[in-house]
Amino acid sequence: MGEVAPGGGCLPPMDLFRSEPMQLIQLIIPIESAHRTVSYLGDLGLLQFKDLNSEKSPFQRTYAAQIKRCGEMARKLRFFKEQMIKAGVSPKGSTTEFDANIDNIEIKLAEIESELSEMNANGEKLQRTYNELVEYKLVLQKAGDFFHSAQSRAVEQQREYESRHLSGESMETPLLQDQELPGDSSKPVKLGFLAGLVPREKSVAFERILFRATRGNVFLRQTAVENPVTDPVSGEKTEKNVFVVFYAGEKVKGKILKICDAFGANRYPFAEELGKQAQMISEVSGKLAELKTTIDAGLLHRVNLLQNIGTQYEQWNLLVRKEKSIHHTLNMLSLDVTKKCLVAEGWSPVFATKQVQDALKRAAKDSNSQVSAILQVLHTRESPPTYFRTNKFTSPYQGIIDSYGVAKYQEANPTVFTVVTFPFLFAVMFGDWGHGICLLLAALYFIVREKKLSSQKLDDITEMTFGGRYIIFMMALFSIYTGFIYNEFFSVPFPLFAPSAYECRDLSCRDSTTIGLIKTGPTYPFGLDPVWHGTRSELPFLNSLKMKMSILLGVAQMNLGIIMSYCNARFFKNSVNVWFQFIPQMIFLNSLFGYLSLLIIVKWCTGSQADLYHVMIYMFLSPTDDLGENQLFAGQKNLQLVLLLLAGVAVPWMLLPKPFILKKQHEARHGDESYAPLPNTEESLQVESNHDSHGHEEFEFSEIFVHQLIHTIEFVLGAVSNTASYLRLWALSLAHSELSSVFYEKVLMLAWGYNNVIILIVGLIVFIFATVGVLLVMETLSAFLHALRLHWVEYQNKFYEGDGYLFHPFSFSLLDEEDDVL
Amino acid sequence: MGFVVTSLIFLLIGIIASLSTRIFFNKGPSANLFHLTLVLTSTTCCWMMWAIVYLAQMNPLIVPILSGE
Repeated sequence: MGEVAPGGGCLPPMDLFRSEPMQLIQLIIPIESAHRTVSYLGDLGLLQFKDLNSEKSPFQRTYAAQIKRCGEMARKLRFFKEQMIKAGVSPKGSTTEFDANIDNIEIKLAEIESELSEMNANGEKLQRTYNELVEYKLVLQKAGDFFHSAQSRAVEQQREYESRHLSGESMETPLLQDQELPGDSSKPVKLGFLAGLVPREKSVAFERILFRATRGNVFLRQTAVENPVTDPVSGEKTEKNVFVVFYAGEKVKGKILKICDAFGANRYPFAEELGKQAQMISEVSGKLAELKTTIDAGLLHRVNLLQNIGTQYEQWNLLVRKEKSIHHTLNMLSLDVTKKCLVAEGWSPVFATKQVQDALKRAAKDSNSQVSAILQVLHTRESPPTYFRTNKFTSPYQGIIDSYGVAKYQEANPTVFTVVTFPFLFAVMFGDWGHGICLLLAALYFIVREKKLSSQKLDDITEMTFGGRYIIFMMALFSIYTGFIYNEFFSVPFPLFAPSAYECRDLSCRDSTTIGLIKTGPTYPFGLDPVWHGTRSELPFLNSLKMKMSILLGVAQMNLGIIMSYCNARFFKNSVNVWFQFIPQMIFLNSLFGYLSLLIIVKWCTGSQADLYHVMIYMFLSPTDDLGENQLFAGQKNLQLVLLLLAGVAVPWMLLPKPFILKKQHEARHGDESYAPLPNTEESLQVESNHDSHGHEEFEFSEIFVHQLIHTIEFVLGAVSNTASYLRLWALSLAHSELSSVFYEKVLMLAWGYNNVIILIVGLIVFIFATVGVLLVMETLSAFLHALRLHWVEYQNKFYEGDGYLFHPFSFSLLDEEDDVL
Repeated sequence: MGFVVTSLIFLLIGIIASLSTRIFFNKGPSANLFHLTLVLTSTTCCWMMWAIVYLAQMNPLIVPILSGE
């Protein structure tokens, strides 16, 4: 509704109260300066482009190829980032100059990628070879031991055997290859053997399966390797055993080979001669040393390359993302083939017109184009986006209001009053100046370290707390104030402003525990009298006080809401809403609940003992009855009758006239349907095809009537339920003070009573943890939530429509917060 | 100190606060109006809360009964 000329609202113009006036502008940009123009507009960040090519799929658009290129570059950059993270290199900013040409960067990225992949592949191959050699060396060493020990035992036994001249075999006859063994070769058995490494956890199963598969005709010897070995195939360190298996026959060999492969046991060639073994060991050691140096050199080279990348990574990344977003935006513009230029449409705030024109001029100059871009304002019936200019103080408040619903274009913004009423209602539920000081310290910590923390990446909870630091600051200030009013410092009251007003009835104070004290002095001047804490009649008194306070505050806030609806009605020049919605609503709410508030105040001022429940209920049930002892002032009965009558008249007043008047207005506007409205000649042809045709507005009388009925019922019932809903102010305040009092008395005072330092320290620690965990964290969240609900529902449903959409300009500074879509 | 006197003190504090925000934080008519709104709203809320608690204690129907410890 950029068409409606705003009238004077309730207040002189204030930026935050209504969203910025927006206009739909059309830019005609020559093609040679299009890229630069969009880039400068992105720097400016005050134009929300409309998608003029929405019917085309992503692949049909003009610049799809460039976007693919940018996507490729982004993929390469992600690959580099992974490699950098794996190698532990962090991207640093650099002050060296920087080639901003996107084509050169593309070539460079491709080069670096191929180099890096090659290096990675080589590195892996070398590493695998190295691990294999390490394993081979282990096999050589351990298996060599077997043969050695077995051989020496064989020599011993042979001697024994010879000396005893026994025949037959004993179990210890070693089964060895015949070369080194002098002696018994009565059984020329052709033995083969295999050596290798098997993972330790599989070694038992390995042995068992070998035994079964070969029917026990093999001999397996295993030794554990002390340190975990890096497996060449998987690259992980595993515990392994060196094994040597002796077998007879070729078929058995085949089976054993298959079993080794199945178990992932790596086999290595092994020579039995001692001399050859020693030679192999020294060879392998030499190769290992060589490989190690090669691998180290390769790693160093890689780290250097990654560090080089690291210095330029951030800049490349930013540039690639900028390019991608520029091309996305260019895709939204429509090509005007006849005039060789691009047409753009977008929403922009009125105050930014000059800045946009400047950006266009600069772009035309910098790209040496003959013609500069043309800007013109379009008129449309579409509803513009909502844009509030907020600073770091008001933006979190605007954020929490926007979470419930974004304000319709130029309707009254609840944030203006919420900045104060939200922390205030929080404080009513939180009231303790000790806890308030703790909250204040926390908020100040975040505010003082603002600059440093805003550039860091914080985790979710800390980020939310940091974002709301000004809200917490306000909440803390108001909590200190209400803490003084409730007179609670960690639940302890202090006679700070004057001595207590209450004293014993007589000097002996006999009656103080039965009938109680009396009020002798002047009323305690600021807040709650300190004598109340710990008395037996504390709760009845406080409950009565806090409930009545909740009702009074609630009626005040709801009246404020209805007045905001009046401001909206005046602004949009909607007199129907003023006469047939605002006035009956005010009458209804105030004749019932405003009257209740009045009764509360009169009762307090006069000290009468009238029962207000009774008065209100019988005002409805039997209004003509005499009030008797519940009379608070003269003429009360007549006043109640008048108010009841007014409330009764107000209900049909808000229900019936409005639908009929709207119907008459609609008929007056669209009386003779024979003439269709002419298209506005200022609108360009392209624009018209994109807009909805508003030629014939629909008007269903029954729909309007039902809508008004629902609205009326909602208001009438809501008046009762919303007023009662404010009683949560009492409920949470009671919970807070009871919890605080329990922690103080049952933890701290109990620990104090023992006269023992250790118990006192333990008690203090428990008190601190309980206070921080339950009262400062849980209660804060709870009171925050309830105060927010009171704003969202009870306050805002008196006036807020909240069906607008946010202004989301094309801006490079917002790129960081977006995920890459498409 | 009396209801009326303290209410006048609140009013005075409100006026002083508005004037000081106008003097120290003068940032243009829209921002000034916003600051004025904030100050007035805070003063009103604080005064309402104080007034409610004060009025409730002026003529009490319930008196403190000590718990006798």
